[in-house]
Amino acid sequence: MATYQPGPSASFGTPPPPKLLSGVKNIIAVASGKGGVGKSTVAVNLAMVLAETGASVGLLDADIYGPSLPLMIGICERPTADPRTGLLTPLEKHGLRLMSMGFISDAKTAVIWRGPMVHKMITTFMGQVDWGTLDYLVMDLPPGTGDAQLTITQTAPLTGAVIVTTPQDVSLIDARKGLLMFQQVNVPVLGIVENMSYFVCDECGKRHEIFRHGGGRRASEELGIPFLGEVPLDPRVTLGGDQGAPVVTSAPDSPASQALREVARNLIVQLEATAAQRAPLPTLDLTGIGK
Amino acid sequence: MINEQTMTSATHSKIEPVVLQADGPDRLLIVWSDGRRSLFTWGFLREHCPCAMCRTEAEKPKPLLMVLKPQEAQPPRPVSMEPVGRYAYHITWNDGHTSGIYSFEHLLALAQKQGIQEGV
Repeated sequence: MATYQPGPSASFGTPPPPKLLSGVKNIIAVASGKGGVGKSTVAVNLAMVLAETGASVGLLDADIYGPSLPLMIGICERPTADPRTGLLTPLEKHGLRLMSMGFISDAKTAVIWRGPMVHKMITTFMGQVDWGTLDYLVMDLPPGTGDAQLTITQTAPLTGAVIVTTPQDVSLIDARKGLLMFQQVNVPVLGIVENMSYFVCDECGKRHEIFRHGGGRRASEELGIPFLGEVPLDPRVTLGGDQGAPVVTSAPDSPASQALREVARNLIVQLEATAAQRAPLPTLDLTGIGK
Repeated sequence: MINEQTMTSATHSKIEPVVLQADGPDRLLIVWSDGRRSLFTWGFLREHCPCAMCRTEAEKPKPLLMVLKPQEAQPPRPVSMEPVGRYAYHITWNDGHTSGIYSFEHLLALAQKQGIQEGV
């Protein structure tokens, strides 16, 4: 890759921004259109399953207004900065490197920020945290298609995005918007996960489709997007999330954990297929221009 | 196990640049993933900056006598041209302008407008 040395005519310009997250092989955005579909639950558990394979994994909670990582992972300490580099050291638990607004702000204090501040904090999390070398960085995005999503799709070299939805139409409408946003900015959608897909009663074994069923799979077929799997409703998922012990560790043999493992396996297949077909974008050698 | 019926490819058919090359001091060559080649003069690209400020300026009537600042009087040249995510390039110009984000779609449309797009 050629590097550009600014000549005399370049004096008005600002230097190109440093390459963010250059030590990360795969950056996966976990997103949804609507809040409350279990995006953070899926993100945390996917990160844990990926780490179980022996991979080095980071988890970045990019939800500045409503960070849930500290509670779900069971850690709430302030990160410290390395005095030599000035970079924040990510916290570590369950074999994951972690960063969240929840580590910095008080849990009882609302973050009341306009978009530029959100942009600044997210770019800080990407550029001023010593993530080191990672096989996977899972980014748990806030719901919607706003400032945070725009910042991340413009500045992070995303490998792809995972869309989490619940089965009912009201969630799918917004999931499609999220999906279209990624397509518009040329980020591959690695697949759709249908969360809260069904519930199997412990007592009678009967299956209940509380929020309907199959909407995620249908959407994936209509849109030509991979379907990564369906995760059932399970009180152990909620309990694990509230106790800082994600379900894949607290109840590893539960149907929800098995489903999340299948989602992770399918995700890895898609990541490999995507990485094989996507060379880095070319850069321009400006030597000789302007002389 | 992976359900092959529903595991379609995550890749997409969007056209992306595969080569970005200066063609002498005045022109930029982009070779696209579908084989198309687009040549732009830097002046044309600067003139068609897609940022809100430049689009507004372009719609205003031009004054009869243009008074240029010294940095505006020199030929437009890029200071840097960096990818924005996976869908655009950000060009910093030698006149100090930095706010234009040239999406691939915009560049392809400009190539048709300028009329020097080449087939291969």
